[in-house]
Amino acid sequence: MKIIVAIKQVPDRDAQVRIGAGGKWIEEADLQYALNESDAYALEEALQLKEKHGGEVVVVSAGPERVGSTIREALAKGADRAIHIDCDDLGQHDALGVARLLAEAVRPEQPDLVLTGLQSEDLGLGQTGVIVAELLGLPHATLILHVEKSETGLTVKRELEEGWFQTIEMPTPSVLAIQSGGNKLRYATLMGIKRAKTKDVRRVTAPELGVNAAPVVQLEQVTLPHKQKSTQMLSGSAKEAAAALVEKLKFEVRVI
Amino acid sequence: MILFIPILAEPQRFSLAEKLIFAGLAVASVYGFWRRFGPILDKILKSKKDPGFHLFPIGRRIWDFVWEVLCQAKVVRERPLPGLAHASVFWAFCAFALVTLNHCAVGFGVGFLNPAGPIARFYFYFAAAFALACAVSIAALFVRRFLVRPKWLGEHLSWGSGLVALLIFLLMATYLAAFFVSDTAPVTRVLWWVHTLVLLSFLPLIPHTKHLHLVLSPATIFLSRGGFSQIPPLSGDEDFGLVAGTDLTQLVSLQTYSCVECGRCTEHCPAANTGKLLNPKEIILGVRAYLNDLGPASDQPLLGKYNSQEAVFQCTTCGACEFQCPVGIEHVPILIGLRRGAVNTGAWEDQHGSKLFLALERGSNALGMSATDRDKFIEKQALPIFDGTQEYCLWLGCMGGYDPKGREIVSAFARVMNYLGTSYGVLRKEKCTGDPVRRLGNDLLFQQLAEANLETLAQNKVKKIVSICPHCVRTIQEDWKEYGTPPEIEHHSEFMARYADKLPKQASPNSAIPEKIVFHDPCYLGRYRNVYDEPRTVAALAGSLVEAPRNRERSFCCGAGGGLAFLGEETGERVSHNRAAELVATGAQTIAAACPFCNTMFRDALAASGEAAPQLMDIAQLAARGLPDSGGLRETAGS
Repeated sequence: MKIIVAIKQVPDRDAQVRIGAGGKWIEEADLQYALNESDAYALEEALQLKEKHGGEVVVVSAGPERVGSTIREALAKGADRAIHIDCDDLGQHDALGVARLLAEAVRPEQPDLVLTGLQSEDLGLGQTGVIVAELLGLPHATLILHVEKSETGLTVKRELEEGWFQTIEMPTPSVLAIQSGGNKLRYATLMGIKRAKTKDVRRVTAPELGVNAAPVVQLEQVTLPHKQKSTQMLSGSAKEAAAALVEKLKFEVRVI
Repeated sequence: MILFIPILAEPQRFSLAEKLIFAGLAVASVYGFWRRFGPILDKILKSKKDPGFHLFPIGRRIWDFVWEVLCQAKVVRERPLPGLAHASVFWAFCAFALVTLNHCAVGFGVGFLNPAGPIARFYFYFAAAFALACAVSIAALFVRRFLVRPKWLGEHLSWGSGLVALLIFLLMATYLAAFFVSDTAPVTRVLWWVHTLVLLSFLPLIPHTKHLHLVLSPATIFLSRGGFSQIPPLSGDEDFGLVAGTDLTQLVSLQTYSCVECGRCTEHCPAANTGKLLNPKEIILGVRAYLNDLGPASDQPLLGKYNSQEAVFQCTTCGACEFQCPVGIEHVPILIGLRRGAVNTGAWEDQHGSKLFLALERGSNALGMSATDRDKFIEKQALPIFDGTQEYCLWLGCMGGYDPKGREIVSAFARVMNYLGTSYGVLRKEKCTGDPVRRLGNDLLFQQLAEANLETLAQNKVKKIVSICPHCVRTIQEDWKEYGTPPEIEHHSEFMARYADKLPKQASPNSAIPEKIVFHDPCYLGRYRNVYDEPRTVAALAGSLVEAPRNRERSFCCGAGGGLAFLGEETGERVSHNRAAELVATGAQTIAAACPFCNTMFRDALAASGEAAPQLMDIAQLAARGLPDSGGLRETAGS
């Protein structure tokens, strides 16, 4: 099976995020970066499929120079080779733009399966995998916890609400967006990192992929959530206070 | 009638036939020795060279040789009576050097020590004294092994040892008997031949049994790595630790062939004492069996048939095994080497181990908590931030920064430092020192953590560190050396002991009966760092000290080391419960700890033992208790 895993490098969960000058993106200078959480589960799923059925796992990632370290981590964990889409202004791209880059990088590979994470930890749009599938004209499913090879293609386990799951039969090639928590992740090993040094990382740029359209969605502004705390003490008897409370909830806060 | 004749009898005039027979037997004996010893020596020499091995400075090596080999210091100190018996046998061997040489020379008619002359007479009496001591000792050791049967010598009776004991006894007996016969008596010749035959059968036996240590252990002790639990560096891109035979180094091979199977390592092992699979002696003998069967060029895994992965991951790296070993075997680097082989190649699949590694791959601490939590603690306690101007950097570590009990210890120590007017600060950002992953054998993660931390320390211009955790101290001082130059660091017990005369001495509530305090020596402070008195000096401020039976360098591990605090449930009895029971049995009202891990382990164990449990305090809390603003005897949580 030839499996492509799209991975994204995102700011560390622990990072103290500050808004950049201009208010259009975050200040990237002092941040630590790591592999997006659901992408790590996508990679793990791909590696387990390779271990069971043979084949190749290729990771693809768009971003600036620093993305190289996350790509190496994926190679160290067992991916066979990588494609690094050079992109210094990833923050300026919308989901469609990123998906176009990924789709054009993936298309010539003609994979059996494309795995992405469910959503990124920074933007959380949850769209990129689905758009890639549409651009490639492939069937897709999201919120996938488990993938198994079947006679006709794949059997996948999908997470629904309230503890319900759905099992779907799908053909290959297809695109799946993987949810976190389905597997136990493997740790990076010294042997993996040493072997990763010799693995192929191909660099491509947007023009080389033939992608140059302007974004259709513009990110206007990024702000920190506004935390407000205000306390009003309601006086009077219990009955009076209750009436006053209902008044406020109805007309000021407007939640009932 | 048996007469004591003050001159050693030597048979005269050996015939040519006798000389030829003697020569023939001698050649056969040496051949028999070499036939077995040659291949062993070959295996040791063909093993990989030890990376980072330096013969110089040689002073330490010479001292170890004199103290441990010639003076038999470890042999005697750790098991006094049997040790002294063994020492007598060894010293007799040494004393007998010229006797034996002369004995063989006599067989060829060229004896060079004239028994009647004054020098030879003195020497032969000197040797006789040793022979007597040796004969008595070896008989006693025989009785110990075959009749008393101590547990740590193992279930299996070693008949080889019995045979060797008999041979040694005969050697001494035939020598002493020669003082009771004359040169010309026929029995003298018989005695000479018996002595000779015993000698010549002994020689080839040496490499076939654990008595190989006679030949090897002086070299093993001389060539040891030095330090304590010194983990060697990995050499090159293809070295992942002890995976297969090709990874075994010359020192490791030499050490495994030197094992005397005395079981002293196992006797003090916390895992072996609580029903686990791990038995340090069997680990060493497992590697030796591998070398015997497959040799140092084999690529068969070391873990599997010869040693189990499960056993290797039960080690707390307490070092009691290595500390005891009378022949210079360094168990801890070997165990960690085997772990490296499993972890660096991804062969170790453990749910908790993976969780620990993943937490440190992404985050800053081993407990998997957000770094902002540590920031909040620093803010709440109003700990000063290190800005390059203060004298000390107070290293919080994972326990001090994130664990509730560890934080109490930090707060208490901070109060002591404030009282003493010490200038100190804490770093804004720390990553785990990497101790648990280092001892579990994850070199990738350890390198990342060490390098990141060394850079932070350099950027912040840290010159001196003080820490509440012996694991942090050891890792920063020794293990980080592989990746840079760490600043000076000391443990808070060493710091407080220096100022003990400035800290208030406390009277107990009932002054007539001072509070009894038992101090538990942490492995990483005691055996690893040789610090035993300083924490006691501090604890003594708060009460009167009592000692646990297994104390100081014999201290029994709490069970947390070697990364085990982060792994799952133990099999068998819990190490912490075993030790806690011993500490409680001293009758002390307070158990004093000097390590946040020991503290955590005992807190759990004492909770299981019920209401009458003694209180558990870190030495910093004991010291802080006596400070003017402490407002009472008990340290309250979160204060």
